Amino acid sequence: MANTQVLAEGAGNYLDFGIFHISVTNALIMGAMIAIFILAIALPFPHHEPDDDEGAR
Amino acid sequence: MSAVEGTATPAPGATTPEGSPSPTRTSWTAWARYRITHTVPQGQWLPDRQPAYVASWIYVFGMATLVSLVIVIGSGVVLALGGSEWWHTSSVGHYVNSVHLWSVEIFFAVMAIHLWGKFWMAAWRGGRSLTWTTGMIALLAAVGTGFTGYLSQTNFDAQWIGAQAKDGLNSVGLGAWFNALNPATALTLHIIVLPLAVGAIVIMHVILVRRHGVVPPIDAEEPTS
Repeated sequence: MANTQVLAEGAGNYLDFGIFHISVTNALIMGAMIAIFILAIALPFPHHEPDDDEGAR
Repeated sequence: MSAVEGTATPAPGATTPEGSPSPTRTSWTAWARYRITHTVPQGQWLPDRQPAYVASWIYVFGMATLVSLVIVIGSGVVLALGGSEWWHTSSVGHYVNSVHLWSVEIFFAVMAIHLWGKFWMAAWRGGRSLTWTTGMIALLAAVGTGFTGYLSQTNFDAQWIGAQAKDGLNSVGLGAWFNALNPATALTLHIIVLPLAVGAIVIMHVILVRRHGVVPPIDAEEPTS
């Protein structure tokens, strides 16, 4: 068991908040996903003007 | 709803309100043809125009999920052809292995963002409950495929995860049905059973999206045609 703990200690950096335990890598990926979600809603979608009167956009 | 789902079945050869012949009861060929051509409204299999509200980045993530799934399956097929000795030892094998890993990472990331977007716009509205349900089942099936993928790496990482999964599954009483330490079971589930399940559910999901159209934002008016 002690050997496995030594192996795990080199596996990465972790954040600890009480019972909440997460690797820095996973926290960064989740933060990036949330940022992309917010940007997908906030950023305007590029589109060209309709080329005829029937265009819905 | 298509005419074929109505309670009353028109006489064979009769014309439906949509103006097309109804399926005949005596021919499964005609019935199948009718179902194939009427499951999705005409022109909606590959539409080249969408309502104005679709011009938003949040509508991109469903297609991004599909594209990454194609890369996942394609790289997985190459890994299956090469075998574990190839992907563990050769530089090209390492590359394809990494493509498989990172396309899976992107697949789950964009699928999660797709889920968030659809959840907050209540995408089950307008008769789309089955679309929502198939999406959730596809997510669960994909998670199972990912977990068995961890067990199929043929390295110490897979061995470690298998041992942890074994304890977890035994603790909830599932150890009698699935042995996470059996690599043959994990590999067969990962490359045959679960990909077939994910593929079939995703196809159903896409057909339902094309049948009912993409869900409009909550304050937007849905087009009538």
